[in-house]
Amino acid sequence: MHVFNVDAFLGYLGNWFLIGGVGVTIALTGAGVVGGLILGMGIALMKMAEARPLQWIAGFYIWLFRGTPLLVQLVVIYTGLPQLGIKLGAVESALLGLVLHEAAYMAEIIRSGFLSVPAGQREAAWALSLNGGTVFWRVILPQAFRLMIPPLGNSINGLLKATSLASVISVEELMRRSEMLMQEQFLTLEVYAAAAVYYLALTTLWDLVQRPLEKHFGRFVQKKSR
Amino acid sequence: MSRYVDTFNIPADERAVRMEAVYKSFGDFTALREIDLTVRKGETVVICGPSGSGKSTLIRCVNHIEKHDQGLIFVNGVELKRGNVDRVRRDTGMVFQSFNLFPHMSILENCMLAPMSALKMPRKEAEAVAMAQLEKVHVEDQAQKFPSQLSGGQQQRVAIARALSMNPKIMLFDEPTSALDPEMVKEVLETMKRLALEGMTMLCVTHEMGFAREVSDRVIFMNDGQIVEVEQPEEFFRNPRSERAKLFLSQIIH
Repeated sequence: MHVFNVDAFLGYLGNWFLIGGVGVTIALTGAGVVGGLILGMGIALMKMAEARPLQWIAGFYIWLFRGTPLLVQLVVIYTGLPQLGIKLGAVESALLGLVLHEAAYMAEIIRSGFLSVPAGQREAAWALSLNGGTVFWRVILPQAFRLMIPPLGNSINGLLKATSLASVISVEELMRRSEMLMQEQFLTLEVYAAAAVYYLALTTLWDLVQRPLEKHFGRFVQKKSR
Repeated sequence: MSRYVDTFNIPADERAVRMEAVYKSFGDFTALREIDLTVRKGETVVICGPSGSGKSTLIRCVNHIEKHDQGLIFVNGVELKRGNVDRVRRDTGMVFQSFNLFPHMSILENCMLAPMSALKMPRKEAEAVAMAQLEKVHVEDQAQKFPSQLSGGQQQRVAIARALSMNPKIMLFDEPTSALDPEMVKEVLETMKRLALEGMTMLCVTHEMGFAREVSDRVIFMNDGQIVEVEQPEEFFRNPRSERAKLFLSQIIH
């Protein structure tokens, strides 16, 4: 019995089948981020709207999708919905589940970002007779976005790892492909260690993207020059 | 305590602001009750009174930052109601206690945004207008910096320049020196004084009684959401009529 087959581990690190899985993981994450941001923005705006029914709908949505595990959501979409005549492929199910789940978190992050911009900013913009669009895009959003970056980054880091749950509904992303390779030679530790290294590389890369973003959008926050 | 009754005897074409029986409440709290007031064009009016008396709410109603519940407000003859809000805001500039500069824009961009966006001024022209206003308040050498890099007094002068870049006819000041370190109050008051001498119509909520005495044409004393007294400054300080104003003055003048 071997302890750890270094050659096999290194082999998995250079395995194109696994690297392809990394690509799928990145694609799932990217789609989850984009879809989650768009849907999350809608949910956040609804929750901040004056109309009570909109607030209720948004509140219910967030309660539902933050209150249930992503794994359960994925399984319900992929294996449960066909019972109601709604049949989605594995990838479509994964995308839908990831977006619905991520949107609930992003909605709250976006909302807190907007709420953190002082009311005086809006009032000053109104007093200057800026129109609603300019107030939102030029005055409020840039300030709110700066505050959203750290929690959004956190959430995206979580999403990156959460895509591994899509393996359960047979989406061939990094985790699923690792399992498939494992079943070929049963080098369990070697292949999953390689998968872990890939995940670590992805989250590290994301850190490297997030940091300059924070710096760029926070460039106006600085100590007084002396 | 008797309420001040405006005689509205200023001719219509000389009125910058006119408020008729204006009411405003926040939930159960009545912030303004039956406000009658006419402000003449070119006049500098100081509004004072204890905290919670409705001073800020009053001037915030003039440019519709707060919506009045009842009564009529006219700004340069334009009735403040839906559809007219933008016209009124173009004629009024506002300076806030907390400056409210846009922190993510440079000083120059702060002053250029509204002329370019609301007045559709070309960039070059907006920059010239903004620089001219920044020069008038002596912060032109800070134009490329962000607000967080300036002192409080400088920031408030920028806020004045930003409002003036829209070429308003009326300026509203909401406790412009209350958030400043003592040594920076003077530079802001000097700027306001110069503006008053140039003939700007100004409504100033302030506790700076020296400014009121020296610069204002009339002092308005408010209490409990009502205007209690409207007087020439010398008269107000020498001989306040209401007991409430006497008490107020005895507490703020040491």
